[in-house]
This record gives sequence, structure tokens and C-alpha cells, in this order.
Amino acid sequence: MAPRTRKAAASPSPAAHNGDTPPAPPPEDDAPPTPSTGVDALLAPVATLEREEVKVNNASPTDMKHACDDALKRFLSRPDLFKQIHTHTDVRLALGWLSVLIAGGTGLYGWRVPFEQSKPGVWAGVLLYVFLTLAQTLYSYFIEGDIVFVGKRKTFDKRIVTERITITSRTTPSSPHAPPGYALGLSYLRSASGGKSLLGKGRASEERPYTDFFDEHGVMDQDRFERWVGAVVGRVMDGKAE
Amino acid sequence: MFADELKTLRRLGVRHVLLQILNFVSVLASGLMIWKGLGLITNTESPIVVVLSGSMEPAFYRGDLLFLTNPPNQRYQTGDITVYKIPGADIPIVHRVLETHDLVNKDKDLVAASPLAQKQLLLTKGDNNHIDDIELYQGLEWLERKHIVGKVRGFLPYVGYVTIAMNDFPQLKYALLGGLGLLALVQRE
Repeated sequence: MAPRTRKAAASPSPAAHNGDTPPAPPPEDDAPPTPSTGVDALLAPVATLEREEVKVNNASPTDMKHACDDALKRFLSRPDLFKQIHTHTDVRLALGWLSVLIAGGTGLYGWRVPFEQSKPGVWAGVLLYVFLTLAQTLYSYFIEGDIVFVGKRKTFDKRIVTERITITSRTTPSSPHAPPGYALGLSYLRSASGGKSLLGKGRASEERPYTDFFDEHGVMDQDRFERWVGAVVGRVMDGKAE
Repeated sequence: MFADELKTLRRLGVRHVLLQILNFVSVLASGLMIWKGLGLITNTESPIVVVLSGSMEPAFYRGDLLFLTNPPNQRYQTGDITVYKIPGADIPIVHRVLETHDLVNKDKDLVAASPLAQKQLLLTKGDNNHIDDIELYQGLEWLERKHIVGKVRGFLPYVGYVTIAMNDFPQLKYALLGGLGLLALVQRE
């Protein structure tokens, strides 16, 4: 993605969704009374930025959810916004690749060594593989759940303020009255001095039908999506600020 | 042909590509582990085999799938259908046990209680053959337990033709694997 310049972020954006977003200077240069005004400017999508077209099969809620999740990650991972924390992905990759390597090793061992001699080794390998696969499944069901994005942000405003946001998303099924929808859930935490003092906490959840973001050919209206996400994130960041 | 998918992959980064490759490789790994686990439970190195010749007709025809077990504490009896492998021969053979003998240990006065304390010697013959298998034993007079892969417990007709086709036309095997890989790499969850 082309790095966004500060000028572009601060230019009057077409959607001033909060109504109080002047072309704000970047938050690092001064100490604004509420740090979130700077963020609101950043949360507005830049209309002039060139984007690759996202086109999905609009009959598949899975494809649409993935497209929305990817757009969300791209939007929130911009240099001035959140930095994505990849812990869940890394754990899944580590457990997965470890189990694959163990399976490969066991297969190789069983192939080289005659059957009767290889039995204890192959037992060990198979049991280890089963254990790792179980661990993976339990982790992704209980600990990861619906989470699609975990982000961290550090700003300096008299002291180092750390913000952490966790975003979950689900597809709500369609009914005779409503099309399938994208349900976004946010959990926000702001703290200072290394997480010891809590400055603010927020929760939000909102749902929109997929028809709001995808047209009849399956092309995604990324501007609209980013505006909506920006509004929800801005709201949860402002909500219980000090 | 896959321009859209390649664009998506490039956009999504290293971790995503690793995840997609993991999807494919873990399907192969779980297949391998299920095979090995099955082999351990049935105590045989090849729990599922395909019949290649017609020497057991009319019981088994070429292309049938056979399910084997190798119970370590049971004697093999006349009438059991066994799969055995002669050291030095490439492929295992499916034939029926014609005779069994126990090699009694003449040094001791006692006979052990365990059913397999004495070594078992076996002679086999295919149902559809006129003569027994002595010529196939490559010099051995009898088969011993260590040559036996397993005993047939059940079978599925015709299903084995898929394996025969993939062995006779390796391109089919690679095409199938390649297709599966491509599918796993571009599909998500």
C-alpha cells in the first residue's frame, strides 16, 4: 500500500462523520485536548487513494466476510493507526507446521525402519500429532474464537498511552426478511505507563447487511465500508475517554 | 487464469501464504497419520491393499480392496486368507492357507501354553490356481509368521481400480495432487 502522507490524511475528507474533524495536524506534533480528534481524521478514508478493485462472489457469505475482514485489516493497519498483533496467527502457524513436520518425520521413520522395530517410534509420532492437532483445535475454538484483528497503538501525550483494540466479526444468517449481514464487535482498552493505569475501556458492536457494501457484480465499495468501520472505531475510542 | 487469486495472495502477505500452504500440507499430513495409526491398531504395515491378480477368484477379483489385521496372539488356521510378502519379491500375494504346522521345540519336555510360543509354519495356495505356492516362496519350504502382512477381514469390490489406475498412469497421481494443492491454496477456510 502506498504510504499515506499527512497532508492527504488531513485534507477535507468527503465524509466528516463526527462533524468535528477540522483538518487536524498530526497528533504527535501537539497535545490536543482529546487525543481522538487526530485519530478521527485518520479514520476517514482517503477518496483520492487508488485502490485495487475487490471483486468477490456475492452469492457466498464466506467470500464476502473474508473480503470485509481483509479490508478491515488493511484499513486499520495503516502506519498512523493500529499496528496489527499477529499472536493468534503465529500460534496457529507454529502448532500447524510443527504437527506437519512431526507427521513427515514419523512417515519417513516408518518407511525406513522395518515395521516391527518402528512401532514404538511411530506410536510416539502419531500420539504427538493427535495431541498437537487437538491443541490447535481447542486454541482456535476457545481462545481465538471470532477474532479477526488485534491491534496496538502507542501515542505520546505527556506520557506513553497504549491503546489496544480487538475486533471480532461474524456473518449473521439471512432470513426471508433480511439479507446476510456482517456483525462487527469491538473491544477497546486504553492504558498508560505500561498497562498499569487504565484510562478507558469501550465495547461496541454493529451490524450491516452485506448488500450495503457489495453491488450486484460483487464489487466491494471499500470507501463506504471504511467509513462505517471508521465511525464505529471512532465511537468506541471516544466513548469512555478520560 | 488465476490472476485474481494471485493478486489477492500478493496483497495479503507472507503469513497468509504460509497459512494457505499449511492448509494443503496438513491435509496430506493428517491422511498420512490416519494411515499410520490404522497400521498400528491393526498391527500390520499395510492395513488396506488392492488385489492385482485373479488368483483368488471367485472370492476376490482384480481391483478389490481388502482390509487386513494381524492379531499377534492368534494362530493362523487353514482357510484364513493371508497377504504375505517374500523377502526379495516386490509385491505381496493374497492366497489362502492350505496347511499349518507348529515347530515344536524338541529340547524341552514342556509345551508352552501361549498359542504362539511355537513358531508357526504355513503353506498357501490361491483358490484359482491348480498348484500350491511352493514355487513362489523362492527357496523357502514354509512361510513363517514374520512373512505375513495380515489376514483378510473384509473387502470392498471395484474400489481398488482407482489405485491401479494411479499406479499405471503416474500422471494421474500428479495431476490429482496438483489439482488438490491448487484448490487448497486459493480457497480460504
